Amino acid sequence: MLYVFKEGWSTFKSIFTGMGVTIRHFFSPSVTEKYPYEKIELPKGARAKLHVNIDDCIGCNLCARACPVNCIDIETVKATDDVDLGKTSTGNPKRFWLTRFDIDMAKCMYCDLCVHPCPTNCIYMVPEYEYSEVDRSNLVYHFSNLKPEMVAEVKEKAEQEAEQKKRERQEMMRKKAEAAKKKKEEQEKKQAEAKKSSNKNDNDKPSTPGKKDS
Amino acid sequence: MTDQISNIAEKREMTINMGPQHPSTHGVLRLELDLDGEVIKNTRPNIGYLHRCFEKYAEEMDDYSKVIPYTDRMDYVSAMNQEHGYVIAVERMLEIEVPERVEYIRVIMAEMQRIASHLLGIGAFGLDLGAFTPFLYCFIEREKILDIFEKTSGARLLYNYYAIGGMIKDVHPDFKKDTNEFVKTFRPKIKELNDLLSGNKIFIKRTANIGVLPEKVALNYGASGPVLRGSGVEWDLRKNDPYSIYDRFDFEIPIGKGEMGTLGDCWDRYIVRVREMEQSLRIIEQALEGMPDEGDVTEGIPKRIRPKEGELYARSETPRGELGYYIISDKSASPFRVKARAPSFVHLGLLPAISKGALIADMVAIVGSIDIVLGEVDR
Ligand code: SF4
Ligand code: SF4
Repeated sequence: MLYVFKEGWSTFKSIFTGMGVTIRHFFSPSVTEKYPYEKIELPKGARAKLHVNIDDCIGCNLCARACPVNCIDIETVKATDDVDLGKTSTGNPKRFWLTRFDIDMAKCMYCDLCVHPCPTNCIYMVPEYEYSEVDRSNLVYHFSNLKPEMVAEVKEKAEQEAEQKKRERQEMMRKKAEAAKKKKEEQEKKQAEAKKSSNKNDNDKPSTPGKKDS
Repeated sequence: MTDQISNIAEKREMTINMGPQHPSTHGVLRLELDLDGEVIKNTRPNIGYLHRCFEKYAEEMDDYSKVIPYTDRMDYVSAMNQEHGYVIAVERMLEIEVPERVEYIRVIMAEMQRIASHLLGIGAFGLDLGAFTPFLYCFIEREKILDIFEKTSGARLLYNYYAIGGMIKDVHPDFKKDTNEFVKTFRPKIKELNDLLSGNKIFIKRTANIGVLPEKVALNYGASGPVLRGSGVEWDLRKNDPYSIYDRFDFEIPIGKGEMGTLGDCWDRYIVRVREMEQSLRIIEQALEGMPDEGDVTEGIPKRIRPKEGELYARSETPRGELGYYIISDKSASPFRVKARAPSFVHLGLLPAISKGALIADMVAIVGSIDIVLGEVDR
């Protein structure tokens, strides 16, 4: 009998202590945010979405190499000698056309590893989180600001230049090779002459049959 | 059909599946239970639903530091601790020292994460047993910790904040103030939690004397962390094999004492977690006091990470137990092998041993009390 009474009392007590806690919470200010209507501001540097300031990008590919999931896809074309792409705001000279700079945010795991190696600090996270899509391919963000015609043009130009450079190089190589050949021939000639002269000396002795025949 | 029924009736045994979508299995775990009426005869855990080839991925990476975001995803509830274990392993291979300030930041982050993880574990445990309120209250506190983490690292769950030889970036200028404030406001909340849950008669009835894990069984299975300590074994890697700078702090190892029933029951494992949070607060306070204000946390990060040829096993204490990384290096830039010893995996193996003879409704309490995270089990 006493046991039942004791048990009952401790149950009653523990439940009411708990109730006291909930009542205290009931009168304390609410912590819920009514999300779509109320938005809290994300702190600076929150990792929500990648952004590339394409004007400052030098196309060094360091960010793509740092990414563990390979979701950054960069294609660069070397600028031809007649154009100057200028400098970035940090003073690094730009040498490449960025014909493609795609980031697949569906693959990205928000690890921030691509942000740190960038020499011009032009790839960074922005606190923008409402960008859900129905179609996954819409999550591939294209940062390159070159128009398709432009891309074709630069590519062609670069190709031409590369072709020309290649030709020049080939020409140079050929010239070099020719020069080398000439040199070699001369050297050989000299050697042969030297040999001849030495042979002549030898020829005094009539032991070499070949010489006799000639 | 009638045949089957009569078969079941004859054998009086039945096999049912619990999970993989059962909400109280803490992830996607499938338990095959052999039942005799309501009594569990045998349990067979089925795992692998969340397998993501962590170890194979780690070998594929062409840099040791690229593995860190993947370690986050092993135990996503305590990502900071997972990173800590991995970075100390690689640092030992490289034989580098990290600056004082970095060590302090690491300890504070790890202990905060321990509190956050225990809060989730405790809250979910209560939720499994029908206590919805503590779950929400725990989440309020956990949210505060995540806010501090977010301010500093930028992410809320998967931080990638530790780097080999340092930290990715320095802490937020408000970090010390925020953390101090959190420590101050959190102390009374532990008492509140005790009032609400630990001392609640219904909760005690559901957890005491349930899922008893004797000390010997725990040691034989290789249990660690709160599961082992709940059985009364004083074993904490922070004290027994100090890594980082844990030897500088003054704290105790809470162990289960069988206060509400048998030693090593669900309630003991639960209360060890609650008491551990208090100890973590003590460590945080001491670390905040000792933390140097100046110092560059990124300067120690090596440019090239190429450890010497060899192998190494480094262990650390995560909220769930002993996390070990076994790394083999072949002198190249990518690890030859990374093996993770996940505490949850070991504890899951305990399930058949401690659930034999329990009622099916208590299975939920047992799974909740060993606090597994399936991301870590399946890796
Ligand atoms: S945040 Fe990480 S995953 Fe995303 S693009 Fe950068 S490196 Fe790749
Ligand atoms: S690291 Fe920076 S500069 Fe280099 S390609 Fe990436 S965004 Fe451009």
